[in-house]
Amino acid sequence: MYKATIGLEIHVQLSTKTKLFCGCSTEFAREPNTQVCPVCLGLPGVLPVLNEKAIEYGVKLALAMRMEINEFSTFYRKNYFYPDLPKGYQITQYGIPLAKNGSLEINTKEGLKKVRIQKGHLEEDSGKSIHLGDITESEFSFIDFNRSGVPLMEIVTEPDLESGDEVYEFLVLLRSIVRTLGVSSGDMEKGALRCDVNISVSKDKTRGTKVEVKNLNSFRTVKRAIEYEIERQIGLIEKGERIIQETRHFDEKEGTTKPMRVKEELNDYRYFPEPDLPPLILDKNYIEGIKHSLPELPNEKEKRFISQYGMPEDYARSIAYSPKMSEYFENVAKFVNHPREVANFLMVNIAGFLNEKDLEITDIKFGKEHFKELFELIESSKISVNIAKSVIEDCLRENKSPMQVVQEKGITQISDTGSLRKIVSEVLRDNSLQVEQYLNGKEKVFAFLIGQVMKKTQGKANPETANKLLLEEISKLKNERQR
Amino acid sequence: MIDIEHIESLAALRLEGEEKERIRRDLEEIISYFEVLNEVDTEGIEPLVFTKEVCLFLRKDEVKVSLNRQLIEKNRQLFGDGFFRVKRIIGE
Amino acid sequence: MEITKLGIKEISHLIKKKEVSAKEVVSSYLDEIHNKDSLVKAFLSVNEDEALRIAEQLDNENNKTGLLFGVPFAIKDNINVFGFETTAGSKILKGYIAPYDATVVKKIRNHGGIIIGKTNPDEFAMGSSTENSAFFPTKNPINHDYVPGGSSGGSAASVSGGFVPGSLGSDTGGSIRQPAAFCNVVGLKPTYGRVSRYGLIAFGSSLDCIGPITKNVEDAAIMLNVIAGFDENDETTAIMKVPDYTERLKDGVKNVKIGVLKEIKDFDIESSVLNALNKAVSKLIDLGAEIVEVSIPHLKYALPTYYIIAPSEASANLSRFDGVRYGLEGEGLNLRDFYENTRTEGFGREVKRRILIGTFALSEGYYDAYYLKASRVRRLIEQDFEKAFSVVESILLPTTPTLPFKFGEKKSPLEMYMSDIFTIPVSLAGLPAISVPFGETHNGFRAGMQFIGKWFDEIQLFQYSNALFEEG
Repeated sequence: MYKATIGLEIHVQLSTKTKLFCGCSTEFAREPNTQVCPVCLGLPGVLPVLNEKAIEYGVKLALAMRMEINEFSTFYRKNYFYPDLPKGYQITQYGIPLAKNGSLEINTKEGLKKVRIQKGHLEEDSGKSIHLGDITESEFSFIDFNRSGVPLMEIVTEPDLESGDEVYEFLVLLRSIVRTLGVSSGDMEKGALRCDVNISVSKDKTRGTKVEVKNLNSFRTVKRAIEYEIERQIGLIEKGERIIQETRHFDEKEGTTKPMRVKEELNDYRYFPEPDLPPLILDKNYIEGIKHSLPELPNEKEKRFISQYGMPEDYARSIAYSPKMSEYFENVAKFVNHPREVANFLMVNIAGFLNEKDLEITDIKFGKEHFKELFELIESSKISVNIAKSVIEDCLRENKSPMQVVQEKGITQISDTGSLRKIVSEVLRDNSLQVEQYLNGKEKVFAFLIGQVMKKTQGKANPETANKLLLEEISKLKNERQR
Repeated sequence: MIDIEHIESLAALRLEGEEKERIRRDLEEIISYFEVLNEVDTEGIEPLVFTKEVCLFLRKDEVKVSLNRQLIEKNRQLFGDGFFRVKRIIGE
Repeated sequence: MEITKLGIKEISHLIKKKEVSAKEVVSSYLDEIHNKDSLVKAFLSVNEDEALRIAEQLDNENNKTGLLFGVPFAIKDNINVFGFETTAGSKILKGYIAPYDATVVKKIRNHGGIIIGKTNPDEFAMGSSTENSAFFPTKNPINHDYVPGGSSGGSAASVSGGFVPGSLGSDTGGSIRQPAAFCNVVGLKPTYGRVSRYGLIAFGSSLDCIGPITKNVEDAAIMLNVIAGFDENDETTAIMKVPDYTERLKDGVKNVKIGVLKEIKDFDIESSVLNALNKAVSKLIDLGAEIVEVSIPHLKYALPTYYIIAPSEASANLSRFDGVRYGLEGEGLNLRDFYENTRTEGFGREVKRRILIGTFALSEGYYDAYYLKASRVRRLIEQDFEKAFSVVESILLPTTPTLPFKFGEKKSPLEMYMSDIFTIPVSLAGLPAISVPFGETHNGFRAGMQFIGKWFDEIQLFQYSNALFEEG
């Protein structure tokens, strides 16, 4: 059996207001080079000044990943030439990183699996290089330094992962953690979360040759790239061929990994301590303070939703992993009770609407008061649960309250036995063939008859009442027959 | 003998001919001069990077005004919507 | 009264008393520059119109405050001054217009000082004679056949030549003290971290210091009052109060323990300098000081230590000069060519040498034996000084082992490096030191005497050096 050994190197862009070493804004800017200053442009004579928020976010994230914070950590220079690297070196943490030795647990088919985190450290992002037009033909590259200096937290895992699925799970969990903490958008498509993968495959206990795969743009791509790469390596091993230790990139169109064309000249980064930044010394109290302020994390929340609210696993996961959804859910559930029903409405009707309109849960007005109205309507038998679903949809689309929708559309459930009994009788009269069939023992026809009642009432009949009455009336008929 | 070509390439310099030879000799002379440091017993001695009284000041996360276009363009022409332009990065 | 013979304190005083206008002062100095700087070549750029305009503005102000009110200054060209071309003496920065002011420049302006021009340095502050400037060498105003010293040669010459009453230089291994000594003026290297480096084009980040070059000790103290202090833009500045550095100028050296170096006999020192040193010691004793022999056992390792650490830091600091955002744009069909051409053409020989040494010392396989080793020896040197300062208040050394030399005299890089044997150890330890001219003249030149002080103890330093200076 082949075994894959996978380790991840992840960069999380921290959502501080300003860059790591200067006061330039980190917000998305439409025009290039409008959020730059002498420091992040690497002008002669400038010096870095550390952003306190970046430290806070870094420590928060590290603690959420159960890492040990190093009270003393250092900054280093990593030297190499590249046009988007203005100083010709990146300031990063090399000697002693901010944090080390943590872990996260992911859900796998075999149950919970612990993935160890080797270290986490802070570093600055580089600018962006863009090619306008055809890459191979253009004589020039274009550089935008708006991103230069944005704070990143680099997280390195131990090679504990073994498949594309596991990595996918890990990234989903990480993303929801950073969102829950509010330290990053975690948006891989926007570059706020970047992932490089190290994979080796071997037949036995020995480690295979490590191949690095870069340039992965989405969680799905990561999974696909890993799956392809594992197959590729297995293929080579079976043929008895050697696996070259190299860096590859994923070709989205073809779904394959390819060696990178840039010859990674054994880049000697010549790391040395950054003389412009004294070591970072963190107070025990400061760290404890942040630890105590950590919100409930997604996987803990997931467990709690299942045990406290009796929520089904898949709902629990989806809601718990989204900080906004969980906040919304708990807000409502605490107000109206009925947590399982609320979860249902949320996941089926509301989520569907949000997806369709590309909105966030925080964009809609339908809140706990509306839910209260809705449940009152259900409990007073004015509408059925089924009808409630379409009521919600109408509320969302037309921005109305449940009461308004029910009144305007006159969809109040028919519950009064008088009018319902009349309708039931009519249905029985109009469908004598089916009534015959039922009386002769074909019990399934009952469903058809109920369907007809629903049709005749335009779905407004209270299902339980209709059921009861239909049974009564048809029994009457049965009795009449038997006389 | 130091591999001057390797060092040059790390430093993005390209020396030629006579200058290269001169500098290579200078470097060898200077580097062999460094050997005298081997006389010093530095066992257990911590490296010194920062001299006295430095402690890390933490800046508040508040946005400051950026550099305006004109000041940047005093030093380099910007292209398109405002990009710096360089010769193509090979292999991308 | 010849305005250009006056010092900072007097000029500012006279302007505030309205006995002379700022405009008159600036004009007088500009005349001197016009008449004599074509021979000395201390300046790379002079901004006459701007200087006169600011002078006029100050003259029209009713509230004349600021320690440097109306006084013109020259700034070494490796310090960013808004709107001025700032070249660091290098072709690679020719045409670079500074879009911001260094913190020290802001402070000078806030105190009413007027920036009159930028002075010529050794390229990127690497050198001891200003012969390494990419543009032209500066001459020693005392005798034009001799070097003014370096790397702040232009700044020292501008004061010595009577072109400004005060200038700013930078000192990494002696670059303020040595040219001050060669030009017979006063030069201070403050404690590392006492003055902000924000805006100083970095050479050796853990060593670089900005400091004043003046005609007398009092003026240097006044300038330090202005430029010292914690700066939010520089993480290596000390969060320490700035005292009044002129407080103890007249307090003398009675009963003060001053150290002389035991190891001095190990060094090759010109007899004229040695004589001056001995005379200085006698004079200090006359003035009531107690002379104590101290030992800095690792002193002889200071030079190789420095010439590993400074170039290592420089090799990284100079990587930003790639032609992409400012400065020289080289030719090249592709990016790699562009980088190499820009840098090979833009940097002079000494700079290239140091970049290569630094790159080598940090490279894989050599880092431990060179950079790390040197950093450890550096700590030993610092410890030596700590020990010495537990016994004495200040240490007296010659600033340089020789009097000024002629152009072209130093044939090899190592020979040139030797100029700094007494200044470099001080830089490695981050200590403050001041050079004051003292003793007889030889060929017009007097030797420079260097007082080394305890960390952040510039008040004492001014006190002791002034005692000797006033006797000189």
